[in-house]
Amino acid sequence: MIGRMTKVAATATAAGMILAALAGCAANEETPGDGKGSGSPAAKLSGTIDGAGASSQSAAQEAWRGGFAKLQSDVVINYDPTGSGTGREQFTEGGVAFVGTDAPFSLDDVAAGFGSCADGSGLVEVPVYISPIVVAFNLDGITELNLAPKTIADIFLGKIAKWNDPAITADNPGVNLPDTNVAAVHRADKSGTTENFTDWLAANAKDAWPHEPAEEWPVSGGEAAEKTQGVVATVTSTPGAVGYVDAGQASGLGWAAIKVGGAWVSASPEGAAKAVGESSLQEGRADTDVVYDLNRTTEAAGAYPLILVSYLGACEKYKDAEQGKLVAGYFQYVTSEDGQAAAAANAGSAPLTSEEGLSAKVSSAVASIG
Amino acid sequence: MSVTALPMGGGHTGPGSDFAADAAVPPMLKTSGPSLWRRAKNRLAAVAVVAAVAVTAIPLVSMIWTAVARGSQRLDLALFTNSMYGVVGQGGGLLHALTGTVLITAATATISVPLGLAAAIYLTEYGRGQLAALTRRAVDVMVSIPSIVAGLAAYALFSMILGPGTRSGLAGAVALSIIMVPVVVRSSEEVLAMVPGDLREAGLALGAPRYRVIRRIVLPTALPGLTSGAVLGVARIIGETAPLLLVAGFTDAMNYNLADGRMATLPVFIYSQWSSKGLDAAAYDQRAWAGALVLMALVVVLQVLARALPPQIAKLRRNR
Repeated sequence: MIGRMTKVAATATAAGMILAALAGCAANEETPGDGKGSGSPAAKLSGTIDGAGASSQSAAQEAWRGGFAKLQSDVVINYDPTGSGTGREQFTEGGVAFVGTDAPFSLDDVAAGFGSCADGSGLVEVPVYISPIVVAFNLDGITELNLAPKTIADIFLGKIAKWNDPAITADNPGVNLPDTNVAAVHRADKSGTTENFTDWLAANAKDAWPHEPAEEWPVSGGEAAEKTQGVVATVTSTPGAVGYVDAGQASGLGWAAIKVGGAWVSASPEGAAKAVGESSLQEGRADTDVVYDLNRTTEAAGAYPLILVSYLGACEKYKDAEQGKLVAGYFQYVTSEDGQAAAAANAGSAPLTSEEGLSAKVSSAVASIG
Repeated sequence: MSVTALPMGGGHTGPGSDFAADAAVPPMLKTSGPSLWRRAKNRLAAVAVVAAVAVTAIPLVSMIWTAVARGSQRLDLALFTNSMYGVVGQGGGLLHALTGTVLITAATATISVPLGLAAAIYLTEYGRGQLAALTRRAVDVMVSIPSIVAGLAAYALFSMILGPGTRSGLAGAVALSIIMVPVVVRSSEEVLAMVPGDLREAGLALGAPRYRVIRRIVLPTALPGLTSGAVLGVARIIGETAPLLLVAGFTDAMNYNLADGRMATLPVFIYSQWSSKGLDAAAYDQRAWAGALVLMALVVVLQVLARALPPQIAKLRRNR
């Protein structure tokens, strides 16, 4: 018995040593405190902050984490793409230090206060991620179609059964549309993309679209898929399918141009930025709470109003001052030109516009964190 | 595989038993030996069985093939020496997730094996009456608990103690233990029950107290089987995603501390690579498939261990 115990112990020790060798530090991580990232002018920070929220931001969040790691190599940022609703709940409870959300907090939420914030602290909420939503389809050999808002509404209501329906062919002269069945794919989970898409439909196709804007898909029937990747995968694998997804995730599919005013406009970061520029900030909110009232019916040339604007939320004053410093540093990077360019490169989003003193408003809001 | 390799059902050829079948066959087709009809039935059954095996094997083979073909694209050294910290698009690795999986799995086994083994010893050696019946019933129920429920239970427990939104590797290990303990109890109970009662009686007859009989006779005899059960329990939980996503969370960076902060694991790594891709989607897909391949390899190694270890241990014991 004793002999065997020794043998078992020896084996365990050997296994442990192999594991320890295997689990050496990652080649791309520095050991804390060796100060390699001294090139940045900002004070050296260290620690971990957790965030949660909108999955639409996840590719952008990754770009920001990557960029911020180059500035502050001792800081670890975590972001759970749990969805906006869950993210807001967790932030309210105090489970996370910051939140990404497609729908801003209501004024009631703000008045009720947040778990991680010091007593009497306000909310800092800034737009950080602007992305066109694209109506993407899978038709052999067709990469572009013109779809009017009413046509899109009818497609997603299930009223248009075939791709060569007169409603579609009328707007697409010269395109040889096949006799394929239309399979409209929508999000099965609650989603900011769904809310923005239905909001745009309600504003632009009033007569055809009877539903209120909602995070949950309001129409029964049609094909449901989980998360953005699920919709992309379903549309990619189903001939004749059509869905609405974040433009950054829809490469390889056909994109629909939508009718804005009298012209057909394709999704692009520039068009999205232009539509944001045509919108105004919501009134009745604190100076640090920078939230848009999106103008879905703009007719400005080149504007693409089928967009999603996603926000980052944080406390003005944290219970834990160290957390405040980290969040402030991270938010400064995210809203900086570098941060916005990094998101554009990895997620295909539109950088924040500098129009109407927006960047000044955003940076003064971010500067109030700490 | 040859269809005729299937043995004819010998021993069951009494004259009366096939009367109905024989009657249905025209008399001129009857030959000496098994009738044509019976041989046809045999062929038919064999074909059906082989087809069933093929249908079962196709998804497995296709899955392994896909994982190897797609996973090998990123199966390089960097995958095992890098985490995802600071990585955007191409590059990066899964060292942080592999480390997290090893740590959390080790912690899970440390919790589950003693607990499960103790329960199994109680059930086989001491358990009588109401309490034993209740324990058995509880284990039966726990085996069929959906893994996400185990995750929620651990989440609720740790949130209650450490405040909302707490995530740590230890919480993940607790969630996985809820899944693994009943597996260990089931397998250990079976193995312990197989230890011959004569051995126990011999020990008791020599005047050894019960606990010593268990420690010196029952457990050593059952050790090979117990080991195999524990390894299979580990193989069962190493691929769990949902509870870990909930309570261990995800991070890009290395984390060696089970008690503090989010910890990446292989299944959650695969999920997060697939579910949040950047513009360069191929890089994310490749990492996800490479992660899947590594995880599958781990499970295969564990399965092989579960088969190879028991004879080895038995040999060690004999040579002692």
